[in-house]
Amino acid sequence: MTDTTTSSVDGPKGPPIGALRLPRQLSQSRAAYILLAPLLIFFGISVVYPVVETIRLSFFEIKGLAPPKAVGLGNYLKLFYDENFMRALRVTFYWSFSATFFSVIIGWALAMACALKPRETMVFRVLIFAAYGVSEAVVGFIWLGIYRPDYGLLNGILGGMGLEHLQQAWLGNPATALTAVIVAYVWTQVGLPLMMCFASIQSIPRTYFEAAYIDGAKPMSMMRHIVMPLSLPGVRVAIFINLLQSLKAFDLIYMLTGGGPVRTTETVGFFMFRESMLNFKLGYGAASTVVLLVAVLIVSIPLIAQRTRAVK
Amino acid sequence: MTFTQKSGVGRRTILGALAAGTMLSPFGIGAAHAADISGELVMINWLAGAQGEMMEALQADFVEKNPDITFRNIVPTSSGDTRGGIRTVLLGGEQADLLINTWPAFRQELLDAGMILPVDEAWEENNWGDLLADSWKDLSSIDGVNYGVTYTFGDRSGIWYKTDSMEKAGITPPETWDDFIAGFDKLNAAGITPVSIPAKIWAHAEWFKSTLLRVAGADFMSKLARHEVPWTSPEVVTTFEKLAEMLNANCCTDPNTMLASIWRDSADTTLLTGESGYMLIGMWLNTRAKQEYGFEPGKDFDIFQYPAMGMGYDNQSMVDAKEFNVLSSVKNVDAANAFMGYMLTPDAAKIMADFGLASPSSAVDPAIYDPVVQRAVNEVLKAEKVHFVLGDLLPGDLVHEYRIQIQKFLQDPSDETIAAAVQKIEDVANDSY
Repeated sequence: MTDTTTSSVDGPKGPPIGALRLPRQLSQSRAAYILLAPLLIFFGISVVYPVVETIRLSFFEIKGLAPPKAVGLGNYLKLFYDENFMRALRVTFYWSFSATFFSVIIGWALAMACALKPRETMVFRVLIFAAYGVSEAVVGFIWLGIYRPDYGLLNGILGGMGLEHLQQAWLGNPATALTAVIVAYVWTQVGLPLMMCFASIQSIPRTYFEAAYIDGAKPMSMMRHIVMPLSLPGVRVAIFINLLQSLKAFDLIYMLTGGGPVRTTETVGFFMFRESMLNFKLGYGAASTVVLLVAVLIVSIPLIAQRTRAVK
Repeated sequence: MTFTQKSGVGRRTILGALAAGTMLSPFGIGAAHAADISGELVMINWLAGAQGEMMEALQADFVEKNPDITFRNIVPTSSGDTRGGIRTVLLGGEQADLLINTWPAFRQELLDAGMILPVDEAWEENNWGDLLADSWKDLSSIDGVNYGVTYTFGDRSGIWYKTDSMEKAGITPPETWDDFIAGFDKLNAAGITPVSIPAKIWAHAEWFKSTLLRVAGADFMSKLARHEVPWTSPEVVTTFEKLAEMLNANCCTDPNTMLASIWRDSADTTLLTGESGYMLIGMWLNTRAKQEYGFEPGKDFDIFQYPAMGMGYDNQSMVDAKEFNVLSSVKNVDAANAFMGYMLTPDAAKIMADFGLASPSSAVDPAIYDPVVQRAVNEVLKAEKVHFVLGDLLPGDLVHEYRIQIQKFLQDPSDETIAAAVQKIEDVANDSY
């Protein structure tokens, strides 16, 4: 076996390569750390410190402006006996999975439809994606207008169609409020999967379609056997991003329902806000934040690992 | 008038002070004005909308009188209960001179955290006692030490109505509970929903609080606020039953519409469009009706006191108030004292009156108020006992729970719901104190 690392063009005249290699590696490492330092410092201040501080706070009872009192795992134990938190967890799972499912499915379907006529659908795609870029506070105002019980657009349309019996206070009815907020949320989120799936579809080599065409494949068959499977990488990333976004959703819920009626739209994110900022129980709120963080990690780690393997 | 959260002070105290008001000149305040004040006055100011504009106008007037002063307002991010934003500002290390506070329970929290200072010395030096009755001092005191200067107060037992709506229904403002309920049929027949209860966030609890005051009185309410009596008490149950009587008499729209509405929606349907007959809310609605609807108080709209129930507590009122607290981070003490003193002057009261609010200062001639504020002030002064608004006295999580339980009750005002609601509130109260 040839040890290429010890071969030297200078032969015995020069020093052994191994002796040269170590200092050079150290020097390279040092340079790398120096170059990375600003980013690492920024990352430490903006990400690591808040996370560590939140975890630390979660072990304290902090009520209002009163000094903190160490309670160990007390906040976590209390959380899992808190029926409001358990309800918030259930709402969060329902919210996240349904919002992600519908955003991605609709986005994917629209992407496939747009891929048939890319040039002609450009304005449509931009408009759909624009909703993704609009502040959720603004989206909240738009949908408040749509859902208003008196002069709301939705009830107006239902009335115009002779469906007065379906008119109702969409955001005030505990049976419809969560669905109503999810619909508004999906409206804002569908732009991202649309663009990601569209990009995935556009990256499919034309030769695949040509070969399929020569073999006599029909458009639907090409859609099913080429477009759908080969756009899956984009779908996976869209699922990942949408799921993470929905787990921490807050703004739209705050705008539309404030967590109500009767807590039916209170997600863990909103629970955390209420406990931390309204009731100002910072320790308890921090504990719920840590639980949410764990949920986000559970979702993220497998997907990040999978993407990392794919890159390797 | 007695604030039952504190040691009792007879209504004569305030009446006497107000009666003397037109004769008094604010010498003490004048002394404060005469002081050479300058520099920056930093205020944690969370007032928004028309009340925010009012504070701007007050600051501008003060600056005109004291040109060497500049104001810097620290505006906490407001989200329902502004205390969260204020706490964030304070814990974030903001250094301010004054804080606007409307929650007595929060004053105690600020004191416990060492964040506010006594104002007794300034009170004496500036003779504020000549302008503010002892009951206001008691209200802002903790264990005999005064921590605040109240600059405005409002009637929270006033029910608002549009005068046209009453004429349309052929009724007059009811004085008794029975008249109140009996009027619902006429209002409904006129196409007006008798009562608008905005139950999306907090305003629905106004009806609970005012009914509780009539059913059980201010003393009971104080005990409930301190959790010296349980929420499962018969008085609380009766309060819910009275509200159920109202709901069963077709007072309101469907519960889901109530649960989708905020107080501004109710204000619009009650005073602006006349689709609803009555609404119960604080005096800031007067500001909205004047400033935003362009209505004339007393002519286009008016208030009447919560109807008498004949249970022994009909001559009682609920009020809210706003005060200034001097923060322990105060840098410009002279300017802070001068501004608090200015807020008790007729000039400041005139600005507040223009915005539809009342000053507690005895230096103010009540004639400057519009008819609605005059009525509200008179009702408060006439009251045998006055109680501070219940919700501002309760711990945050308890307030939230009782609002949620009232939401559930509005959906189903049955005996079972009432029993479950009071028990749930009591459970949370047991954990909150």
